[in-house]
Amino acid sequence: MAAITCPMCGFEFVPGGPACRVSGCPMAVGGCHTHHCPRCGHAMPDEDWSVLARWVRRLFGRGAPAAATLAGLSPGESAVVDKLTGDGALLAGLTAQGLVPGARLTLVQRAPAYVIEIGETTLALEHAVAEGIWLLPGDDAGPREPVEASR
Amino acid sequence: MAVELRRVVLLGNPNVGKSALFGALTGLHVNVSNYPGTTVEVSRGTLPGGIEVLDSPGLNSLAGGSEDERVAAAVVRELRDTKGGVVLQVADAKNLRRALLITFQLGQLGVPTVLALNMADEAEERGIRVDASALADSVGVPVVATVATTRRGVEQVRAALPHARPPANHLPIAPDAAIDIGRWLDGHEVHPAHVARYHAALLGCADRIARRVTSAPAIPTQPALRTLGRIAVHPVWGWPILAAVLGAMFLVVGLLGAQVLVDLLEERLFGGLVSPFVVSLASLLPWRLLGDLIAGPYGLVTMGLSYGLAIVLPIVTTFFLAFALLEDSGYLPRLAVMADRGFRLLGLNGKAVLPMVLGLGCDTMATLTTRILPTRKERILATLLLALGIPCSAQLGVILAMLSAVPPLFGFVWAGAVATVMLVVGLIAARVLPGERGAFLVELPPLRRPSLENVLAKTAARVEWYLKEALPLFLVGTLALFVLDRTGALAAVIRLGEPIVVTALGLPAEASAAFLIGFLRRDFAATRLFDMSRHGALTDAQTVVAMVTITLFIPCVANVLVIAKERGARASAVIAAVVFPVAILGGMAARLVLAVLGIGG
Repeated sequence: MAAITCPMCGFEFVPGGPACRVSGCPMAVGGCHTHHCPRCGHAMPDEDWSVLARWVRRLFGRGAPAAATLAGLSPGESAVVDKLTGDGALLAGLTAQGLVPGARLTLVQRAPAYVIEIGETTLALEHAVAEGIWLLPGDDAGPREPVEASR
Repeated sequence: MAVELRRVVLLGNPNVGKSALFGALTGLHVNVSNYPGTTVEVSRGTLPGGIEVLDSPGLNSLAGGSEDERVAAAVVRELRDTKGGVVLQVADAKNLRRALLITFQLGQLGVPTVLALNMADEAEERGIRVDASALADSVGVPVVATVATTRRGVEQVRAALPHARPPANHLPIAPDAAIDIGRWLDGHEVHPAHVARYHAALLGCADRIARRVTSAPAIPTQPALRTLGRIAVHPVWGWPILAAVLGAMFLVVGLLGAQVLVDLLEERLFGGLVSPFVVSLASLLPWRLLGDLIAGPYGLVTMGLSYGLAIVLPIVTTFFLAFALLEDSGYLPRLAVMADRGFRLLGLNGKAVLPMVLGLGCDTMATLTTRILPTRKERILATLLLALGIPCSAQLGVILAMLSAVPPLFGFVWAGAVATVMLVVGLIAARVLPGERGAFLVELPPLRRPSLENVLAKTAARVEWYLKEALPLFLVGTLALFVLDRTGALAAVIRLGEPIVVTALGLPAEASAAFLIGFLRRDFAATRLFDMSRHGALTDAQTVVAMVTITLFIPCVANVLVIAKERGARASAVIAAVVFPVAILGGMAARLVLAVLGIGG
């Protein structure tokens, strides 16, 4: 996930990074849906998670211009995987199932789980995993970076 | 190159028909199913000439991290160190790239391999053509097209086995992306991020070969099944389908099994023929005691056999039949998708729905299946919920039969009480237990029409397993009750249980005997309560209270032993210590609700 700047104190941080304590955080029960500034504690909503927020953005015509990750792709759209981020063991599983940088995927649906097709393989996965699947802008398969794991 | 063949291991991705090919090769039938992760154990068989054949759980990579993949990797490791060992890799002809990932790893290990391109018929229907000889040239191993379900190509596979060769091992992979898979198998740890890079590099090579030898698909696969597979996980249409599947299961198990067949066997066969015959036979015996042991109120035939064969057997048989159909159709992973959101509340992953549904068949088997869950926390949570609130098919059937005898409102009180207790315990346990919920990721195999042969064979195997495992316990339990009754100990136990059974739950004192055998098997206890309610010993309200208590009661001895084996003695003791009081409290709560509703007795 890209770094964001806290509108309260101007501190720049990466949500879900080392400063964030998802486990044990009382706000994270059932999944973390807010970004808290690690410096001042100011809370911002996670717009990627909110269906309504995405809908409002789309209404204004600037909803997710380039689908940076799978979480920003719309059902029926197809894209080429750029790189993968997230838990290492999870990535080892994803790659073994054929989801690798350079592979073309098609998003079938977003709820109740993301369903994607890669060739003859169909996978179902949750939002948190989808956020770690980065896609190439446009349709061209350019140079790719390797897999990056957080641990 | 001739090898003296001693052992063949079947290896391949999940859902490529390994078990079916194993059956076709050896003539022996094993667990053939459509959910990634059901063949946890390794099946064995033999080929003519005494060659040993092993089936293995599906794997996507020898460097994979799941329980199944570790088991499969251990089998390969053993094979590498055995002379005369050959891998028969089974591939989905439509999805060659993922099979080649494993082939390359076998090449790194230098294990002699034969590649079976299975489900060749499905590929042909789609207009996918794989050039087997071109593939054999690029990979360096014999390649045979097969259709395991119709035995096509099975003879050719058998003939190819002695000509197995290690796959070519000269892949253009950057050295920093490579992993020494041999050292990995020996337990040398590699950073998982490195594993992901390695998979990506292997798949790059696999893609190039697969593209060269495969013609692109022209026709989409069986459009009706494909559409059905898609709407089965649709955010709106998925729910009516889920309801229809559960409804159909209820019809088969609840109506056909628990009512039609039980009536036929219990009333007609045992009540009308077997029991009177045995009773009259027993009256001829010189010793009264022996006669009672066989045909008395706690008789081995009149209670033990008639409960086990006439009430429980038809119910488990119909359940296993329905479950085998679900398994082979490929619906179960889709059920996991639909359940993920709800299970998240309980700190679980959608995959936990599989042990939960399987638990409706047998909690003991389901406890073994909790291995597929990614984290320890989830495994313990699922084990607890299984032990607490998931009635096994035997018990569920008996409960459904009891429910059909009381007004519908009482049924809702039962379902509501059990669901509420599960939810409360699940919510609390999810917060109390340390650890995290694993990310939800599941592969959706194509929906397939189940083969009648597979479904029946699997049902037969499970029924046989039930008869061997449960029936002796029914007899032991009956014998124990008989002895307790004769020595006067039963009366003492009933007195001892009075504060709980009579005062707290408001049940007749004789129900203590039912709960006592509940420590052996819950379904046995439920059957006893069913018997009591049928003969008017329980009022409708008492029936519901008894049902809630016995649904939540301690699971059977076998389950407790499996919990201890899988999760450790401490976890097992804690689970038992939680379940027992919760069961009593649940029963008391149901009694209270009934009293508030004004229908309590």
